[in-house]
Amino acid sequence: MANLWQKLMHHDGNGWWNLPHTASNDLNPPYEGPIGGAWFGNLWRTVTHGNVSHAGPGFYWLVGLVLAVITLLEVWLFGLEGLGGWYIPILMVLSIAKFAGVVAYFMHLRFDNRIFTYFFVSAMIIGILIFSLILILAKYGNQPVLF
Amino acid sequence: MWAFLGSDVMFFGAFIATYLVYRGKSLNGPYPSEILNIPITSVSTFVLLMSSLAMVLGLHYVKEGQKNKGTLWILAVVVLGAVFMGFQFVEFREFAHEGLTPRTNLFGTTFFILTGIHGAHVTIGVIWMAFLAYGSHKGALRSDNALDLEIAGLYWHFVDIVWIVIFTVIYLISANDGPPAGIESILHG
Repeated sequence: MANLWQKLMHHDGNGWWNLPHTASNDLNPPYEGPIGGAWFGNLWRTVTHGNVSHAGPGFYWLVGLVLAVITLLEVWLFGLEGLGGWYIPILMVLSIAKFAGVVAYFMHLRFDNRIFTYFFVSAMIIGILIFSLILILAKYGNQPVLF
Repeated sequence: MWAFLGSDVMFFGAFIATYLVYRGKSLNGPYPSEILNIPITSVSTFVLLMSSLAMVLGLHYVKEGQKNKGTLWILAVVVLGAVFMGFQFVEFREFAHEGLTPRTNLFGTTFFILTGIHGAHVTIGVIWMAFLAYGSHKGALRSDNALDLEIAGLYWHFVDIVWIVIFTVIYLISANDGPPAGIESILHG
């Protein structure tokens, strides 16, 4: 039992819940555990900092579970009536959350050099600006040909 | 790979913007409200999302030097990707039976081009992953050259995030779209 706990939670270099801050050559943090202490500190650093090593599989399962729950929530909202004008904004927020989750953690952008983040986010911003302009022009400019 | 993904953002952005420009402007059916099947597409979306999880786990185990687990998870990506393609094939065939093709109306044109190009990306990804799974099985893909898998993984995750946008924009937001307002006056003067 103690061995299993060690395998799941402790940073021996191959812990299942090994979080990105603790690279395999790091010393074991003294107060690690599922809540509080170094474990929570590492999770927080994972979310807020880049340039750290990659996560363990437990962390990826957690991200996958969150993404699946968001997808379920989207489908549930689709069947829900009475959201009115809130429906599209709520869906957009959930979609952005899923998008950010995959890019930041599955694509390792959160753990890579910041230059990759700048590169990808720049492309996103330029793309959104250009295509927003197209949508505005299409709405208020000449009407497109219909068939 | 990040440079390619940046350019692919523009590529898919153009088709998504085109879909939105022509959204709700089809003068004849079938309209999205008559044909889109949200429950089925939700399942295929879930499958693609889980393939991303399999991808990241495969990369983790290859980096750790755990060959069998790495191969297994890369194979899971291949299987889940193929299942997603199967869903798309069935959906396209169903739409064709219902009378929606790329030539039917503006919805058909923009829908099939966008989802078709995404499907082509998934197909390329599945073939790529199949080669990498074989390489991992044979021992050619190891922790010291795991960058090959990491690059393929970036491509795969990108295909996933494009689908996240497509699922929201085309399926969830447009699923209740019917004929445009005032269609009678447009058709009959």
